[in-house]
Amino acid sequence: MDPGDLDLRRRTYGHMVETGRPPRADELGDPEEVRAGWRRLHDEHALVLNPATDEIRMLNPFSAVPSAWRVHARGRWWYANCAWDAFGVCACLHVDGRIESSCADCGEPVAVEVRDARPSDEGLLFHVLVPAAHWWDDIVFT
Amino acid sequence: MNLFRSEEHLARWLGGREPGATMPVGALSALAHLWWDDRVSPDWVPHTRDGNQAILDRIGLAGAFWQLPPA
Repeated sequence: MDPGDLDLRRRTYGHMVETGRPPRADELGDPEEVRAGWRRLHDEHALVLNPATDEIRMLNPFSAVPSAWRVHARGRWWYANCAWDAFGVCACLHVDGRIESSCADCGEPVAVEVRDARPSDEGLLFHVLVPAAHWWDDIVFT
Repeated sequence: MNLFRSEEHLARWLGGREPGATMPVGALSALAHLWWDDRVSPDWVPHTRDGNQAILDRIGLAGAFWQLPPA
């Protein structure tokens, strides 16, 4: 990865962690240059852009848009992209947390406390529908 | 990538579709902590395909379903 793009990614994630939201392009520099860098990072699966707007859609494991996966960690609520990413929020911030979502079948709320990387409710099941070879075919669906 | 309250709930949700892969949420948490550990580190560098595959292997996720695409 190009060192300049690596630095742009570092500053993009840094903004997310510090403020709880992804940066706008103009907050990181010349907007056209930033968007061009983000597009290269998108192509390398280092972040995910909304194809219609070139705004950030995912800074995995964080979701830039409201989702069914809410995580309370480091004193604020975050959105994650899926169950895996919800645990990933606690993992990448290196903190305990609380995950709130719902059973995909019945819609009943599920809440999981994460303490020292272990979930409070070991009875829940995680299911992945898409094989690993195809995760990035459509990462939003995955 | 969803959570379910039980196998019964998962089967009902699948509705006859071919299942993917299932694991207890404890294994998911272990996987997530290996996979995402360095993601916001200022020193992050891209994971290699083989490095990511090794993480899946450490959790015992083997077989064709868990094979990442070639780099």
